[in-house]
Amino acid sequence: MNAPVTRPPRPGLLRRLAARLRTIAGLVLHFLHPARFVLAPLLIVLLLAGVLLWLTGGLAYVAPFVYTLF
Amino acid sequence: MARVLGISAHYHDAAAALVVDGEVVAAIQEERLSRIKHDPGLPLAAAFACLQHAGLRPGDLDAVAFYEEPFAKLERVLVHLLRHLPRTWRAFPRALAGQLGSKIWVLDHLSEGLGVARDRVVRFDHHRSHAASALLVSPYERAAVLVVDGVGEAHATTIWDGRGYDLRLLASVDFPHSLGLLYAGLTAYLGFTVNEGEYKVMGLAAWGQPRLREQFARIVRLTGDGAYELDLACFAHMSDADLGFGPALERLLGPRRPPGRPWDFEREDDRHYADVAATLQAVLEDILLALARKARALTGADHLCLAGGVALNALANARLQAEAGFARVFVQPAAGDAGGALGAALLAARERGDPRPAPLRTAALGLPVDADRARDVAGELGLPVRRVDEPAAAVARLVAAGKIVAHARGRFEWGPRALGQRSLLACPRDPATRERMNRLIKEREPFRPFAPAVLSERTGDFFAAGPDDMTPFMTTTARVRDDARERLGAVTHRDGTARLQTVEAARAPELHAVLTELAALGHDPVVLNTSLNGAGEPIVAGAEDALAFWLRHGVDALVVEDLLIERSP
Repeated sequence: MNAPVTRPPRPGLLRRLAARLRTIAGLVLHFLHPARFVLAPLLIVLLLAGVLLWLTGGLAYVAPFVYTLF
Repeated sequence: MARVLGISAHYHDAAAALVVDGEVVAAIQEERLSRIKHDPGLPLAAAFACLQHAGLRPGDLDAVAFYEEPFAKLERVLVHLLRHLPRTWRAFPRALAGQLGSKIWVLDHLSEGLGVARDRVVRFDHHRSHAASALLVSPYERAAVLVVDGVGEAHATTIWDGRGYDLRLLASVDFPHSLGLLYAGLTAYLGFTVNEGEYKVMGLAAWGQPRLREQFARIVRLTGDGAYELDLACFAHMSDADLGFGPALERLLGPRRPPGRPWDFEREDDRHYADVAATLQAVLEDILLALARKARALTGADHLCLAGGVALNALANARLQAEAGFARVFVQPAAGDAGGALGAALLAARERGDPRPAPLRTAALGLPVDADRARDVAGELGLPVRRVDEPAAAVARLVAAGKIVAHARGRFEWGPRALGQRSLLACPRDPATRERMNRLIKEREPFRPFAPAVLSERTGDFFAAGPDDMTPFMTTTARVRDDARERLGAVTHRDGTARLQTVEAARAPELHAVLTELAALGHDPVVLNTSLNGAGEPIVAGAEDALAFWLRHGVDALVVEDLLIERSP
């Protein structure tokens, strides 16, 4: 049996941010297809809501907005 | 030449598979290590275990391949949530939270969790990954590939033309029409847990008669071109991820069965539920047969590979082998979502110029069991452990004496079937053994069958079929010969079939040795072989799991490599 593989440390904030931006760019490219334009507004609203939740750290501050969405 | 790690995750049965220079080196389901049955989480423990087995570090990997396109899946979820409003309004927040909260970031999470550069993390289509997992480890150069599961990104069923390393999509049936979700909905209707109880439905089918074809003709129908469609009013998988079926199904088939109620076939309603299972099985087989015939017509191939969760339906596979017109049929042992990890790894290896792997010879692709660790822990627990020179002979003597033996030797298996490396072994003769196993050890429904494992060259002595490409992996069934039924009383199902495993030394050497010893003792070279786990537990992986199983369950003996523990009479 080989020695256990050491798990890597969590990457720094900048590296994680770069990865997330890459994923968002891929997501935007995917939904830029003409057949998917109709979904873009919904996706933008959902992503903004997600960013809002992330920035505020919870639902309490943004509950009124979320209520209007759903 | 490349080192590629394939990953499947975020639905059920997450797994990792490592392919090095075009050869499958290791493949492990996360549940074996996390000890959470059907664990859907990111399989980092399985991934690191694969690397450890191969002596690699994450930095040595040329690619990490995910088995699904996250954005295409998000698109399908969005489209169907919107299309089925207002039915979906309750599911909307939860579904979107799951997608946007974690699933679309899965490639980032893999990069960070494994410590691999983000640009080395790639992804492939869900059904293409399934198709690759079957074709590329099959013994066939040319084959039709039929993938049938719940749903991937959009496809629920696909037919592929497989040539060498190439896969060409020929036809598909898209969500929400899905055989996997049909089976899941009826599994829930019968009171079983979805993604867990499908095997129970298959076992239950033998206790009923397919009397409800008229009702099922309204639930699902063939469309004439070899495809099928569901009556969506009967189902709820577009709007309710938990339930799976709708009120229209209960209007057709009667009220759902309460979960957890003990089964009693003296009751009229339980006989009705068995008829539901039997009709579902018959209808599923008819549709799969139509799909397979369509695949043969489209490809002209002589061989068929099956993948997707529905390909684990051993009864249907036997019927396809007999009636679909293909000379040979292959189903790899982890045909469900776990298998997608293997397919994705093979697709990425191909892109990096690796050769196609050799046909899969064995399912023993997991970690070995550590006998030294078992001896140390058993010693600390004060268990009467002793070393034996010939473990196979010791196991054979115990089985011949009517004992139930927990058998943990070699590397554990890939997929849901125990194939001798992590098995409970017993004499296949006495139906009372089945009762003891079902009620006391496995704690499961009394109607569920057990499988036999037989020396490959002696298969014809007991079964009305010889070894084929599926029998080494227990993914098909065969009729038990009339003159062998008494000798195989504990493993012959009510319908006269058994989900047999044919055993060769090259594929399962430890189990082969046990069967050879049984023959040398003058017994039939057949054992009852069922998975080494209790109710709701994943199959045993390591030494601690094996000892924990021994402590919890009333088996007569435990063998861990060359260590033996026997229960005092």
